[in-house]
Parts: sequence; C-alpha cells; structure tokens
Amino acid sequence: MSEAPETILNVNDNEASRYATSRILHRAGFKVLEAGTGNEALQIVREDMPPLVIMDINLPDVSGVEVCRRIKTDPATASTMVLQMSATNIAVVDRVNSLAAGADSFLVEPVEPEELEAVSRALLRLHRSESALRRALAERELLLKEVNHRVKNSLQLVLSMLSLQGHRFKEPETRELFAKAIARVTAIAAIHERLYQDADPLTVEMHTYLTGLCAELVRASGMEENAQASLQIEVEQMRLPTEHGVAVALVVNELVMNALKHAQPATGPAQIEVRLLRHGTGQVRLTVADNGDAPDQSSSEVAGLGTQLIRMLARQLNGTVSIERAAGTYAVHVTFPLQSAVSWRPPY
Amino acid sequence: MAATVLIVEDQVLIAWHLSDLVEGAGHRVLAIARDPAAAMEAAARQRPDFAFMDIRLHGGSSGLEAARMLFECWGVRSIYVSANLDPATRAQAEQWQPLGFIGKPFLPAEVITALERAVQAL
Repeated sequence: MSEAPETILNVNDNEASRYATSRILHRAGFKVLEAGTGNEALQIVREDMPPLVIMDINLPDVSGVEVCRRIKTDPATASTMVLQMSATNIAVVDRVNSLAAGADSFLVEPVEPEELEAVSRALLRLHRSESALRRALAERELLLKEVNHRVKNSLQLVLSMLSLQGHRFKEPETRELFAKAIARVTAIAAIHERLYQDADPLTVEMHTYLTGLCAELVRASGMEENAQASLQIEVEQMRLPTEHGVAVALVVNELVMNALKHAQPATGPAQIEVRLLRHGTGQVRLTVADNGDAPDQSSSEVAGLGTQLIRMLARQLNGTVSIERAAGTYAVHVTFPLQSAVSWRPPY
Repeated sequence: MAATVLIVEDQVLIAWHLSDLVEGAGHRVLAIARDPAAAMEAAARQRPDFAFMDIRLHGGSSGLEAARMLFECWGVRSIYVSANLDPATRAQAEQWQPLGFIGKPFLPAEVITALERAVQAL
C-alpha cells in the first residue's frame, strides 16, 4: 500500500531536541514539519492542518499548554491530535494541566524511539477514526435534510393536487366534501413545515401551528371577506409531542369547520373562539366555542365523520370530551393530560 | 391595485396552485418559469412587480441565483416559497430585500397574506 506519509508537526525551541525527535519520526516514515515557537506552530496548524502535533511544553513565546488550548478550542483545528512532551523535572500538576487543556497524551523525556513512534501511530489511528466518524455524521445530516426536503415537497404536491382538483367541481356538495378533505390533509401536512427547523424536532410548538391553521380555515371558508365570522385564538406557549400535536390540530379543524358552518346567529357575525390552555395540574384543555346555536343532534352532520374523528382523537389523547350549552353559546371542551414529551437533545 | 407576478417554480402542480391563488386574489400572473434563465427571459419580456421564488429549481439550478439576477437587473424582489428555508438560505436571500418567506407545505392563507403585504410594499 503506497499511501502518502502522514504529517507530524514537531514543535520545540531547543534545536538539538527538535532535531533528535524529527530524526526518529523521519525514520518511522512520517513527513515532518518543524516549528520553534508557539505562534509559528499555531500558524502551521492552521495552514497545513497536520493530523498530529508533538510539542514541548516550554516554548519561548506562548506556553505549550496555551498553544494546545488554542488548537483545541478553534473549531477549524480542534480535531488535531496533540502530544505534549516535557523534561523529567516537570511537576505532576503541569502534566495534569496540559491534559486538561486538551492534550491527547503526554510523554516525559527522554523517550525511547520505539515508544515515540508507537504513541504517534496510536494518536494518528485515533485521528483517522474520528475523521471517518465526522464524515459519516455529516453525510447522515445531509441525508436527513434531503429526506425532510422531499417529505415536505411531496406533501406540498399532495395539497396542490387536491386543491386544483377541488376547483374543478361545480356541485356545491362535492366542493364542500372536497374542501373538508383538503382541510384535514392540510392540518396533518402543516405540522411538517413546523418540525425539524427548530432545536427539538420531536415536539411541536402549538401556538404557531394552530394560529396558522385557523387563519387558513377562515380564509378557505370565505367568511372573512363578508365579515360573517371572526375567529379569536388564545393558545398558551406549549410544546406537545408530534402525534398529540396532530391530534389536537385535527380536533380543532373539525370543530372550527363545524362552527363556521353552523354558527350563524341572527344578530351580527359569528364569533368563534379557540383556546388551548393549561388546566389544573398536568392537564390541558382545548376549547372551541361559538355564539351560534348548538348543532341539531339529529342532523346527519353530527353523526358524521367529523364527530367520529373528534371522539377517536380525544381517546388517542387520553382525554375526555364535554359539551357546554348556554343561551347563545355552544362550547366543546377536550381535556387531556399534558404528556411530557420525550425531548430530543442534540448528542453534542 | 392588481399586481403583476412572476412565479419561479419547477414543479408544475405547485406553480399552478400558486397561480390559482394569485389570480383568485385578483392579481395577474405574467409567467411561470422553471429555472433562472427562464425567469430572466420572462422578466425581460414584461417586468413583474415581484416574484414567488422556489429555491431548488430545475436541473439543480438555484432560486437564490434567479432572485439575485431579478433584483440586480430590475430591482424585482421575491417572496421565497421553499421546503428548505434554513438560516443560511435566509441570510443569503436577505441581500436582495426579500418580501417574505413561506415554508412548504404552505397554507394558502400564508400565500395570500404575503401577497397582500407585498402589494402594500409596492
């Protein structure tokens, strides 16, 4: 195997010692760069990026410990391996300090040539496997980003397709059915625009999610233009696990669609309120209320898919549904335990 | 006031959907372009008030490049509509005075809001 020799930077202000170390490294087949001061060493590390630096702890300008600290704290050079060397009379505390500053190993002179070579090879081996891991991680991140992009783009295609199809129906019933299907798919798809882009991709921030969806429901209903309906939203800042977030959004979708359809009080425009608030200890309460008449229990709408969906989704949230009727108001509450999400933290 | 809009998007279905939304809101779509060259040609024929701009375009070309050329040649600004609006992309787009950013999958209400805001800014 005729690979290019690996490069080692040898830093020592004592010319004789530097020469001796370089000779050992040359004989072992390494390419050797040399520096006599800390600043010179830092410059070579930045420019030539040697995988390993062998450095005396006593340098004339900057101490070897400080040079090591600078190499290890600069993200551009942090992956460089550092082997500190010192004379026999060094105190234990200095060796400890040196390792604490990020040195990967420490040798006390005089060192047998075999030992210097073996330690150098071990550190270079470590450097190679770290580089391979870093590359693999970067590839994974790129892949994940690409998959996210495709998921979001495909969902957009689904929504665009449905919307284009929906415009081509003439019969009002068919249009309405289609609009409902689109709204349901939108509620599910919209969460993807709100995941991944922040620090915690396994939970969703409910305020922006629900605010966006409600604005879309009002727009799609066309009621805003003629000021037939107004919608007020009060959502506490909270994060829910993704599957709970989608369930809540779908319930909101069904209830707001119902309210937009039924809440047409004789006096003035319909007022719809959506609230998602903490309720007692560890509970959350979702409320959708309007100032219209309660929907007729016997109508087919109530027994329809929407009602079934609400029941099923409430069960999925381990929640209960309750209905509140009073003169001129109708409210549906879904109360469920606030599950502490399994929060995701970057592993570094 | 009816605005004139250029849609730069390589996915025909999405371009069509955007076009429906723009026209539904009472504005006019001048052209649909699928890459920076087509966007420049369309804008040379007739200057749009602004553009809806996807980021990843046909054949690996970039919406950022199209946005830059539209802005530098004619001062045409863009509303970015993309599934990939990471901070680096936004920072780059900032140079050409963006009129808004909309993530995909978009809510039509977001498109309308951004559209109305852009019309106000004219």
